[in-house]
Amino acid sequence: MKRVFNFAAAVALCAATALTVPAAAFAAEPVKLGMIDPIKTLIGKQNVDGAQLATDLINADGGILGGRPIELVVYDTNFAPAEGVSAVQRLLTQDGVKVVVGEISSSVALAAIPVVESEDAIFVASVPKHPDVTKSGYDKVFRLNSTTALDAQSFDKFLVETIAPQKVAILAENSDFGQVTITHLKDLFGDKLVYADTFGMQQSDFGALSTNARSSGADMICIVGSNMEQYGNILRALSDLGFDGRRCLMPGILNSQGVEIAGAAAEGAFSADIYVPAIDNELNKRFVAAFEEKFGRVPEKIEVLGFETVWIAAKAMDKAGTDTDTAAIAETIRTGEWQTPRGTVTFDAEGQASSGDLIRLEVKDGRIVVSAD
Amino acid sequence: MTDLLLQQAVNGLTQGMSYALVALGLTMIFGVLHVINFSHGELYMLGGLVTVVATSMLGLPFAVAVIVAVVAVVAVAAVVDLVAVKPVLPKKDGPSTVLLTTFAVSLLLHQGVLAAWGPNPARVDGITGSVALGPVVVTGSRLLVLAAGVAILLAIEYALRRTGLGRRIRAVAQSEYAAHVVGIDVARVRTLTFLGAAAIAGIAGALMVPVSLFTPSMGQHAIITAFVVVVVGGMGNPTGAVVCGLVLGVLEAIASTVMPQELGTAAIYALLLVSLLVRPNGLFSRAAR
Repeated sequence: MKRVFNFAAAVALCAATALTVPAAAFAAEPVKLGMIDPIKTLIGKQNVDGAQLATDLINADGGILGGRPIELVVYDTNFAPAEGVSAVQRLLTQDGVKVVVGEISSSVALAAIPVVESEDAIFVASVPKHPDVTKSGYDKVFRLNSTTALDAQSFDKFLVETIAPQKVAILAENSDFGQVTITHLKDLFGDKLVYADTFGMQQSDFGALSTNARSSGADMICIVGSNMEQYGNILRALSDLGFDGRRCLMPGILNSQGVEIAGAAAEGAFSADIYVPAIDNELNKRFVAAFEEKFGRVPEKIEVLGFETVWIAAKAMDKAGTDTDTAAIAETIRTGEWQTPRGTVTFDAEGQASSGDLIRLEVKDGRIVVSAD
Repeated sequence: MTDLLLQQAVNGLTQGMSYALVALGLTMIFGVLHVINFSHGELYMLGGLVTVVATSMLGLPFAVAVIVAVVAVVAVAAVVDLVAVKPVLPKKDGPSTVLLTTFAVSLLLHQGVLAAWGPNPARVDGITGSVALGPVVVTGSRLLVLAAGVAILLAIEYALRRTGLGRRIRAVAQSEYAAHVVGIDVARVRTLTFLGAAAIAGIAGALMVPVSLFTPSMGQHAIITAFVVVVVGGMGNPTGAVVCGLVLGVLEAIASTVMPQELGTAAIYALLLVSLLVRPNGLFSRAAR
């Protein structure tokens, strides 16, 4: 009798669970967004912090799709394409996400795209700069960062007409980014380019390289280096050698930590970028204040790009009224105008974001400010 | 062109001095303990880290920070010696095992710093200002590396040739058995050599941070170059390590004026490879005997 009672109780419990759990879960079932990034590196963490803040703000505003919160599932890619592919596979097949965002490395992003395509999912890349990221032919890939070609469109005219150097030297990191930029500046300046050399991604002493650049007689030295410790060190070496010409950091690489490393040697260096924390709009003010409160530092471009991936993906899901119909979500992203901390962002047919001309920047009194030029 | 070459020679000497100092410690340990200490690069990195912490967080003057860095690095090295070298070395295949234990220590130190400090680089101002010697500009920090480097090398040379400890170290390096027979405490000499080498690595790290920043990976790059310098200079040969370190630094800097920098470095390393084929025991192997 006792056994029958226990069995009956168990059946009743199961029935009750079956009836109540789906109803409760439906009320607050989170919408999962997948994120990949090299989270053990400084730049990867910056990107994830931005995305996390977007998640917090959207959830604080009541979530999407009638009150559902967003849940960010983050996996490490460790800058390795193989790890990136397995992270994306895990997100799409085990975690059941339909939209993957993030990443710094172009190699990882390019390796991840076929996996995303095979699962008919959406990939919103934040930082990768390689042109091929948006040229795979798959129509559900988007990229927030500007490309080197887009940067050049905006920056070339400024260099040639406003700075108007007589002789130019280039110090570039030995990478895709460095080589492409050297070729581009050779085309842009022709005979005016008097010196160009590359440095290794692990190099830490720039005395010899800076001496050669200074001795070339250049009145403008352009630095192409994504590692802040490297370009900060080059600025210091040039200052130590008494170089008094213009110092140009190619668009997208100047950040406050690089300025801190270079110290007084960074004064007067100029660059351009898609974002500065000083942009005057309501969303940016809210973003900067919330970020400072949560993380204790001022956000910069990498954080904004991380923020935008989640912000735009979530707003697009909300607007499209679905978290599963990837075609509808992708179409909404592509055709929409999105308000983000940097202003209005739109996408072209290939999924490349743009927000107008770059903002010209210079280092003044140890801070990055919008240039008066 | 002469001005450029002179400037590059000075740049190269500074860089070469850092190679020489790290290599000197590595080769001393090899000469006396007959082991490769793979954690040596991380001791160099710790010298830099302690200097950063002492100057930027504790507000100590640079000179005091260098002393604190050396003391801290020697303390860490004492622990490394106690747990990863001393208990393992006397055992069968001791030297090969020490290779692994010190490699494990280097990973622990590197990952420990990455976990506690993060991947962030940091700057120390050191000695500001620069000296112009005609067309050649030398910053205060580089001048300090050169001057301190020369002083350390002279002190080591003096200690090895003229002091009782130096004689005991040379005796152990030549024959542990004979040294033991004449009453030298071999274990003590080994420990003192290990700590002395660590102190040099600590000073080198502290002095190089104002020249080329602190990064948690600085030790990993340093150990690779130092290893090359030690092998080419002759394993266990201090003179060879110092000369090869300095020559490597100067050649790298001067080669950069006539060819792309990375190609220059590759060409120099190729030459070093050829030199090993000609003299397999190192360029200074005869001087060692």
